[in-house]
Amino acid sequence: MTDVNRYILERRFKAPPELVWEAWTNEKYQSRWYGPGVETVVHVNEPRAGGRWLVEMKGDGWSAFQRADYRTFEAPNRLVFLQSMTDADWNVIANPQMPDWPRVMHTDITFTATGDGQTDMRLVWTPHEATEAEVACFAGSIEMLGKGWGMGMDILDEILAELQA
Amino acid sequence: MELKGYQRSGDLDALFTALADPTRRAILMRLADGEATVGELARPFAMSQPAISKHLKVLERAGLVSRDVDGPRRPARLNAAPMAEALAWITEFRRFWDDSFDLLDGLLAELQSKGDER
Repeated sequence: MTDVNRYILERRFKAPPELVWEAWTNEKYQSRWYGPGVETVVHVNEPRAGGRWLVEMKGDGWSAFQRADYRTFEAPNRLVFLQSMTDADWNVIANPQMPDWPRVMHTDITFTATGDGQTDMRLVWTPHEATEAEVACFAGSIEMLGKGWGMGMDILDEILAELQA
Repeated sequence: MELKGYQRSGDLDALFTALADPTRRAILMRLADGEATVGELARPFAMSQPAISKHLKVLERAGLVSRDVDGPRRPARLNAAPMAEALAWITEFRRFWDDSFDLLDGLLAELQSKGDER
């Protein structure tokens, strides 16, 4: 059974953990990869446990703001932070597109050396101090996204394709 | 995509309950071809009209199907918006990260080649 209360993303990077860590935590590099198709501006980056990460993503005529609060900062293997969408003053807000999406997401990342110069990343998202509605929204979305859903996804694809035809 | 106020947890629960049943999924597929009455929906299934009506009620509660209030036929119509909205957001969330990591792959390759030159 899929645990719908957390979402796990795994990925292998072709670089050692030290370099992956640097790309994740140095603002010089963060803006290069975080946020596809937008200009990412790192306003504040305090790379330590208890530090803040305040980021603006600029699209065409709009800006979206996010913050992360580093909880665990153990180079180069473990990075834990709380992440949220915010207003322009860095106050946490609900996701305008999905109001019941968890406002605060606990993000726990481990970087493990593979032994051949690569890094296995494991990213675990869990809703942080979430309301019942947020947990339901998160769980429902995770379920919909993939594992354990099977048929539901297939019919969804078919219906969506028909509607767009 | 226009996002309407369906996003209450109860609605999500109802949505997933509704989609969990194979008969109800088949009904949705049939309705994707156009509206149908209970009789028309019952025909391909080895099922009574009251049984189909019950399934339709579940689909209606989830907001996936709407029916005319009066009139003898009361045809059922598909409303896929709830599914489309939930799927659109979670797909976008996943794509954001996947695309970011693709960029990270490129950055790491660049950093490594620079490191080799040193």
